[in-house]
Amino acid sequence: MQRSGELTAERATGHTAPAAGLARRFEEQRRRFYSNLLLPALVALMVVTLLPTIYLVVVSLTPLDLARPETHWDFSRPFAQYENVLNDSRLHNSLWVQAKLSFWSVLLQVVLGFVFALLLNVSSKVLMALRTVFLIPMVLPPIVVAIIWKVLYTPDISPFHWATEALGFVVPSLITDPNWALTAIIIADVWEWFPFVMLMVLASLQMMPSEYIEAAKVDGASVLQLTFYVTLPYLKGVLLVAALFRLVDSIKAFPLIYILTDGGPGTVTEVTNFYSFIQAFNFSYLGFSSAITVVLVVITIFLSWLIIRMVGWGQRVD
Amino acid sequence: MSTSTDYHSHLKWQRFWLHALVIVLVLLVMFPFVWLLIMSFKTIDDIFAWPPKWLFVPTLENYTGLWEGDFPKSFANSLIVSVGSTAIAILLGVPGAYALSRMDMGKSNQLSILILASRMAPPIAFTIPYFLAYRYIGLLDSRLGLIIIYLTFNLSLVVWLMRSFFDATPRALEEAAWIDGASLWQSFVKIILPLSGPGLAATAILCFLYSWNDFFFALILTRTEATTAPVAIVNFMNYEGWAWGKIAAGGAMVMLPVLVFSFLVRRFLIQGMTAGAIKG
Repeated sequence: MQRSGELTAERATGHTAPAAGLARRFEEQRRRFYSNLLLPALVALMVVTLLPTIYLVVVSLTPLDLARPETHWDFSRPFAQYENVLNDSRLHNSLWVQAKLSFWSVLLQVVLGFVFALLLNVSSKVLMALRTVFLIPMVLPPIVVAIIWKVLYTPDISPFHWATEALGFVVPSLITDPNWALTAIIIADVWEWFPFVMLMVLASLQMMPSEYIEAAKVDGASVLQLTFYVTLPYLKGVLLVAALFRLVDSIKAFPLIYILTDGGPGTVTEVTNFYSFIQAFNFSYLGFSSAITVVLVVITIFLSWLIIRMVGWGQRVD
Repeated sequence: MSTSTDYHSHLKWQRFWLHALVIVLVLLVMFPFVWLLIMSFKTIDDIFAWPPKWLFVPTLENYTGLWEGDFPKSFANSLIVSVGSTAIAILLGVPGAYALSRMDMGKSNQLSILILASRMAPPIAFTIPYFLAYRYIGLLDSRLGLIIIYLTFNLSLVVWLMRSFFDATPRALEEAAWIDGASLWQSFVKIILPLSGPGLAATAILCFLYSWNDFFFALILTRTEATTAPVAIVNFMNYEGWAWGKIAAGGAMVMLPVLVFSFLVRRFLIQGMTAGAIKG
């Protein structure tokens, strides 16, 4: 990049002796110009993201409780909130709920996304047009997704409950039944996000060299064999990256839980993010909530780092 | 010869069944979404009808009901906040992205983890410090407050996406302009920017969508004055019982711009969602 700039300046000045000086000056000028363009963005990014993160860590070192003003800036026992993190059994329960939610929703999204991508990966105008339809769940505002499923899970008005009743089953209201509430959330989450995996897989399938498939066909491989021994190994990387993205995102699950179950019944669907929200904005224990959140952020950064390691610092998926 | 026609008719059937299967799946996947749309045109009696009514006289009363209440104000808030935050993110982020694309920076990769982490951190990580700061400086329940907090994801999105668009524009164009005597600033504004028009539009739309779709920040940082449309819909769930008709109509109104814009930028959706890790 740098070299090509010098080259131009040299060309511009026609390779004469003072040209080297001119080129250097132009290079200098260029570097200053770029720094001036970059600076506002970088400063703004620091101010809106880095400063608040530091503030979050600072708050996590105090027992801040909005109802007790004296807890502001009280650093007498800086790690007290982290001790609470270690000892709070409701928090540990929320981590377990999170693990179950993340595991099942990511697994189902990857499986469904993969299967749907294979079905749609056929050159056909109809199927191409239908791909766009599958975007809908993913792009809908999360709050609308939550409302859609609230309707389906509310027995009074749900066509699903009507249909099961007509068939002779009595299905309990899923979101108020402790045995089913988490499953209900997982179903809604899978519906919302399997298209993400599907699209990533489809993009990757389009770049798959056709020789792979031709060679396998010549060898007489069946469709199943083709899928398991050729396509799946080829897609391993994409599936892993898509799964990691979904995993990180599943830690943020909020609107679905807020609207469908409000963390209940009891604490059955209370994930860590949601518990932190309750501690902060229902009980106003911002210090404790900050400590929980710091732990979540550390986990997120670790997973993000893992993604980047796998993808190789901003390269294409393949 | 006959085996070949057999094979072809076999293939044709295979294609037919595949299409049939996919269409059934599409209907199944779309059903929940379509049901909400249908519901928004039903009277409250039709909504509670048992068995559910498939044929009914559509009504606009849910929509007119929305129009007469506070919903238009929230809808306007959503628009102002989303457009405002997008504009600021573009103004600050695009020059930065251009610089990053043209600078000789081996370390710019470290930026990608900052960008990815800031996009992936749970929203509550930003909400707590912003809430405390806004409480102190009086930005709670203000549109400006939302515009600023939406920069947490918009700014990094702009920098990342636009950088990859700029990477794709040939440097030879600027170099030719310099030879013709254009200044650095001119070559950026008059040559590179117009060429990046489509990328710029897609980036702006993605920023708008992310801001428009936000629920969590607006839920916590607004009360009555700056409530956005998603929060306003949720308020229909708390007051005067569950106003299902209004909830459905409000949901339909909120998703309408989203569906239109998403369709326009469908090629860039995945790129936007994976910004920070994967270049387009």
